[in-house]
Amino acid sequence: MKIKIELYGASRDFSNQSFLDFEVDKNSTIKDIRNKLIDYLDEKFSGNENYKKIVNSSAFCSADDNIVSDNYKITSNEKIAIIPPIGGG
Amino acid sequence: MLHTKIVNSKDTKLLINQAENFISSSNFGASIIFTGTVRNQNNNQTVTGITYDSHDELVIKSFKEIYNDSDQKLNIQDKSVFIEHAKGYLELGEISIIIAVACKHRDEAYVLSRYIIEEIKKRSPIWKKEHYANNESAWLKGNPILHEKN
Repeated sequence: MKIKIELYGASRDFSNQSFLDFEVDKNSTIKDIRNKLIDYLDEKFSGNENYKKIVNSSAFCSADDNIVSDNYKITSNEKIAIIPPIGGG
Repeated sequence: MLHTKIVNSKDTKLLINQAENFISSSNFGASIIFTGTVRNQNNNQTVTGITYDSHDELVIKSFKEIYNDSDQKLNIQDKSVFIEHAKGYLELGEISIIIAVACKHRDEAYVLSRYIIEEIKKRSPIWKKEHYANNESAWLKGNPILHEKN
C-alpha cells in the first residue's frame, strides 16, 4: 500500500519536496516506517549518520493529529508526519 | 478565554496590540505580555535570521491542551490567554511568539505565563533553522516531543 510521510523541521533536508512517498506492506507499523526511512537514507545519502539520528529520535503523527507509538498500524494512503526533536519559542 | 494562531510571516507580523486587546478585561487585575524575538547570537555564531517550521494542527492542539492543563495543574480557572507563534523567515528583532495572559492576581499571571512558554518548548512541534553571517544555516537540535503514548 502507498503512504505519504510529511517532512518537518530537520527532516525537510531529506528531500526537495515536503513529503516522501513509500510503498509498504499491509499492516505496516510506525516501526516499519522508521526502518524504511533508514533504508531510504542509506541509499539516497550514503547512510548519513546525522539524518539517521533524526529518524531514530523522531516521533510520528497520524493523519488525525495524534502522536502515535511504534506499534501503531498504518492504513492505506494514510499521511504520516515525522516529528523531529522540537524547539520553538 | 483562549486565542491561538500560527502566523505565516509572508502574510503578516505578530502584533502586540492584538494580544493586549484580547486579554483586556476588568475581570482581571494582572496581565503579562511575553514576547520571544530573534537574537543575533547563538552558540558563538552570528545569527542573521531564523526560519520557523511548524506542524500547524498539532501546534494549535498543543496550545489548547496546555491551556486546559493549567486549570488542573496550576489551579487557575479564571484567565484569558493569547498565544500566537510565527512560521516562516524572521529577521533579527522580529517577534516569534507572543504569550499574553490575564488573571485575577499577579502571582497567577507570572506562574501561568512561565508555565505556557516552558510547556510549548516541550510539547509544541515547532522547529528553528538559524541562518548565519557566513551564509550557512542549520536546524537547531531540539528535544524529543513530550506526549502521552498511545
